[in-house]
Amino acid sequence: MKKILALMLALALCLSMVACGGGKKTEAGTLSVCLASEPDTLDPALNSAVDGATMVAHLFSGLAKWAQDKDGKLVIVADSVTELVEGVANTDGTVTYTYTLRDGMKWSDGKDVTAADFVFAWNRAASPTLAADYCYMFEVIKGYAEMWETRDTGNKDADGNPIEEFVNPDAKLAVEAVDAKTLKVTLSNAVSYWNELLAFPTYYPVREDVVKNEKWATDPATYVCNGPYTMASWEHDSLITLKKNPNYIDAASVKLETLKCYLSDDANNMLTNFENGAWQMIDDVPTNEMANMASKYPTAYRVEGQIGTYYVNWNVNENILPATSTLTGVEAEKAKAEIRAALGLLYDRNYICKEIGQAGQVPASSFVAMGMTEPTDGSEFYKNAGSSDDYIGYYDVASSAIESNYNKAVEILKKYYTYDEATKKFTNFPTLTYLYNTNDGHKAIGEYLAGALAAVGITMKLENQEWNTFLNTRKNGDYSVARNGWLADYNDPICFLDMWTTTSGNNDIQFGKGAHAQLKMYNLDLSAQGYNVKVTNGTWAETYDVLIATIKSETNAAKRYELMHIAEDMLMATGCVTPLYYYTDIFMISDNVEGFFCNPLGYKYFMYCTVK
Amino acid sequence: MNTKTLLYILKRIGLAILTVWIVVTVTFFVAHAVPGGPFASEKAITPAAKAALEAKYGLDKPLPEQYITYLKDIVTEFDFGPSLKNRGRDVIEIIADGMRTSAKLGLTAAGIALVVGVVLGAVAALRRNKLIDRVVMVFTTACISMPSFIMGTLFLILFAITLRILPANGNAAGGLILPVITLSLSPMANITRLTRSSMLDVLGQDYIRTAKAKGVSAPKVIFGHALKNALIPVITYFGPMLAYIVTGSLVVEQIFAVPGIGRAFVSSITDRDYPMIMGTTIVLASLIVIMNLVSDILYKVVDPRITLE
Repeated sequence: MKKILALMLALALCLSMVACGGGKKTEAGTLSVCLASEPDTLDPALNSAVDGATMVAHLFSGLAKWAQDKDGKLVIVADSVTELVEGVANTDGTVTYTYTLRDGMKWSDGKDVTAADFVFAWNRAASPTLAADYCYMFEVIKGYAEMWETRDTGNKDADGNPIEEFVNPDAKLAVEAVDAKTLKVTLSNAVSYWNELLAFPTYYPVREDVVKNEKWATDPATYVCNGPYTMASWEHDSLITLKKNPNYIDAASVKLETLKCYLSDDANNMLTNFENGAWQMIDDVPTNEMANMASKYPTAYRVEGQIGTYYVNWNVNENILPATSTLTGVEAEKAKAEIRAALGLLYDRNYICKEIGQAGQVPASSFVAMGMTEPTDGSEFYKNAGSSDDYIGYYDVASSAIESNYNKAVEILKKYYTYDEATKKFTNFPTLTYLYNTNDGHKAIGEYLAGALAAVGITMKLENQEWNTFLNTRKNGDYSVARNGWLADYNDPICFLDMWTTTSGNNDIQFGKGAHAQLKMYNLDLSAQGYNVKVTNGTWAETYDVLIATIKSETNAAKRYELMHIAEDMLMATGCVTPLYYYTDIFMISDNVEGFFCNPLGYKYFMYCTVK
Repeated sequence: MNTKTLLYILKRIGLAILTVWIVVTVTFFVAHAVPGGPFASEKAITPAAKAALEAKYGLDKPLPEQYITYLKDIVTEFDFGPSLKNRGRDVIEIIADGMRTSAKLGLTAAGIALVVGVVLGAVAALRRNKLIDRVVMVFTTACISMPSFIMGTLFLILFAITLRILPANGNAAGGLILPVITLSLSPMANITRLTRSSMLDVLGQDYIRTAKAKGVSAPKVIFGHALKNALIPVITYFGPMLAYIVTGSLVVEQIFAVPGIGRAFVSSITDRDYPMIMGTTIVLASLIVIMNLVSDILYKVVDPRITLE
């Protein structure tokens, strides 16, 4: 038997020697990385994933791009254009930008890149016909609203929902190719993050004759691009190989010849391949290995900031008052807001970050994440949140504040629930159910939260659902408390705030829906900011929705940010959002790789890398 | 082949088609009944965009109509539709890619399991109660009782991390060696035990004693008479096993990152990629039905006493 086993092992060994040599050799000029599994698409307009964006950023060149300046600081610089010009304000409040494309830009098949390619690509990406996930990135451009305007046809579909149709099926964005080299685009109003949008993959150009073939982005033979790399091969579910594009206008600055993107969704498998040297960069690390890896590879294990917040959200319409409570309507909602905020004080966010997350997360005391900067002085938006002089944000997350937070919470809860002084527990708090999507990390956090509440006599059961079902349940409001998370698409707090308007598709809290729609309890007074807006005891739609609309149409950056702080104050006052931590981006990159950088959206840049 | 056998085979093919049709129908309605949809994501798309997408893929039509269109496309044009998740790719392409890898992995593993299993089983039977028999029995018991994810992980640690002689991902050169071995161990052990007991049974039969008494050489007795008959139960086992290995190698595919059909199947369900769920279900169900049919027919070929009806 031993002989047979030995024979088998020997056979395996020989085969491997002949066939591969273990895959640990690094070829010069080649970098092997693993970002995630097979990307859903590599069409820049359709992609909405971070891994897809990283690959697309290597394949295309937009008007602007992310880069490092000489001090290693991240900046947005001109890419396909000669310079990132300032906009010219028009009398109607719109802003027009006129860009000049650089000379000599070519597609990978040798044809010239023209302004018309951008016009086509943007209209395509924004259009209802393509219905891309990120179509709303073009919302700021004039004409987008007309493009998406719908009206009721009067007919109903099989489920009884009204069927709508688009009012202007031929509407176009206000972007025009003045000539082959000049691109003119008009925004509805000035936005501070416009240059960042220009660097966003959805804004990359594609050519009409190329994308006419619906399968163009799945086959290297038809994948025509204009960036630092071309797609050399795509072995589905296995490997995408990018090779340096000789037609790229800045080809001389591209250092890495070949980028091999291996496709795997298994963090353990990624780590195995990193550890045996087959891959030099992996974008995921198994949670239970993080502490171990951080000490084993102190320089290769990287924790970078990412603009996002992990939080717990409440269903605003869920009753959490004791059965004996006589409060109704506005009074009940005011009490619930106070109770929800108080419960948020019972959690030790430092414990969650250090003991459960273990990935360098930062305890959160506001909903708008760390990493968003103010236009006036470049300070962090979250540091200016809330109104306390003693701490940052809406409550104190310091370890030293745990006891005072706890006492404060108990005092508030005592107003509404029966408290047993002997056991130090509330006796009539209704049982809660915490909903999360099946995942060990989310489960561990849920268990901690339930434990913290159990300490004051509140029972919170845990319920997990598979991802897609979970999204559906949360969206429909069939839950009382649920885990949630949000990652920004660009450096502007509005992407954390406009999701809570009544009609937003991400309004999981159900603001302004169901019973909450009738509650006239919110105040909005913007007269101090110079607006003719003053609502007392209005509904959510009459206040928050109006505030967000005002923010979106405001052109003065300083004013806009002031309004956004007001919006966050309003949101946090509902107690429906309980921030836990700000996300971080964890990955591992071999010490042999130099010239690598990443941005706060989680995109990785390998084009200037050299492998030792 | 006589008319009776032919009739039997035709009947079985008819039944097979019926089985697949039932599986397709049940899967279709169950998949659509599960909450969530193919266009759900953390960042919800606007209702208008969702409606536009649903219209593009015909998901706005009533379910029975979608069902009939789907069946018609498959029967008349063998069109499994486009994937909703991997935009721009057809389901048939994705399945073909996955099957190519899964089949290579599964067939190699099945081949190894068969050859090694039969040899080990025969050797153990011929050396009954000797040391080698005991060793084989202990080894096979271990292989059957140890789940593939433990075996796979052990192999990974040993060969991919400690010794670094084999790659950890199935798509690298030589990457299929570890998954093939992992996948083949359990069926190999089953075949060994099956061959051994069946061989022992056959070796005790009168006709073997007669053959030996007539002076037939030992190899001829073993290969010509004993083994041939001892393999009948192995054949019954082998057909379904092959289908199982090809379709059920999901765990192994996951551990070694092998881009096979198993992974595509599971992700299609979590993504609510309806055409992909249907496509993989049809392919996997057909495979199992066909394998069962083939093994029944083979059964008849090796043992003429069996009548198929």
